[in-house]
Amino acid sequence: MTSNAQTPIKLYYEDVQVGDEIPKLVKAPVTHLQLVRYAGASGDFNPLHTDPKIGELIGTGGIIAHGMLIMGFIGQLLSDYVGPTALRKFGVRFKGMTHLEDVITCTGTITGKYETDGIAYIAGKTQAADQNGDVKASGTFVAALPHRE
Amino acid sequence: MFDKSIIGRSFPPFSIEVERGKIRELALAIGDENPVYSSKAEAQAAGYDDVPIYPTTPTTFTFSGNRKMVGQLVSAGINVMRILLGEEEYEYLAPIHPGDTLTGVFTIVDGKTRQGSSGASMDIITTEVQYTNQHGASVLKARQVIVVRE
Repeated sequence: MTSNAQTPIKLYYEDVQVGDEIPKLVKAPVTHLQLVRYAGASGDFNPLHTDPKIGELIGTGGIIAHGMLIMGFIGQLLSDYVGPTALRKFGVRFKGMTHLEDVITCTGTITGKYETDGIAYIAGKTQAADQNGDVKASGTFVAALPHRE
Repeated sequence: MFDKSIIGRSFPPFSIEVERGKIRELALAIGDENPVYSSKAEAQAAGYDDVPIYPTTPTTFTFSGNRKMVGQLVSAGINVMRILLGEEEYEYLAPIHPGDTLTGVFTIVDGKTRQGSSGASMDIITTEVQYTNQHGASVLKARQVIVVRE
């Protein structure tokens, strides 16, 4: 993997230390309109996420958000932090359902720094939780960062 | 009960064109108003060659590009009505740009049946999509763990 010299630099390797916290991201409450919009944007039209009647039928307590919307929120946290083109690996594990009006806060911590084949990487863990602290998703990422001259 | 004989099964390749408008649409649905995702002009004003893909854009490659996926899971004996997404992971191997045409190969890479604490069993299945671009370069690996409740 080569680093892309043409892309703007958001963050330098030297500026990140293990244990650093990523500036947290507090999202606006999840709305029905957002889920309809997300369905169209992603191509995931499972009615579980858009049709209130289905939610009642299968006992999820109404509509639940797409898990991938929550991963998208964490993606925004990381895009804001390392820049849109620095991510090399990004994964999440889904832990709980997100309902309408939930306010999701995304947080993250740096867990590692290393160099391989001349490229500098940071690794970290992330989490998305609601207003009650219930965790919806947790994950890890790796990003390639440039050195400060 | 998960049928171990489907481990390793790959399905015929699908192709998907990377579209600027879909990147913008996804960012806006997520509520991310970073202008670099909104247009080529805005991306270039911020110093990029073109609109970068969103971190979760690969989900659109699967949902919009692999329209046969549900049928493929059904053909492998998986009850798609009982699926929950357990994990999702991307490895970004090389830059992906608007206008690229990607070819994806969907493979069932692992699976097992686990007894839950309530006594009901569930199947835990790992799938992977390997994407190459129009130049034959590997650009992305997408891994998913799906949980199929009995």
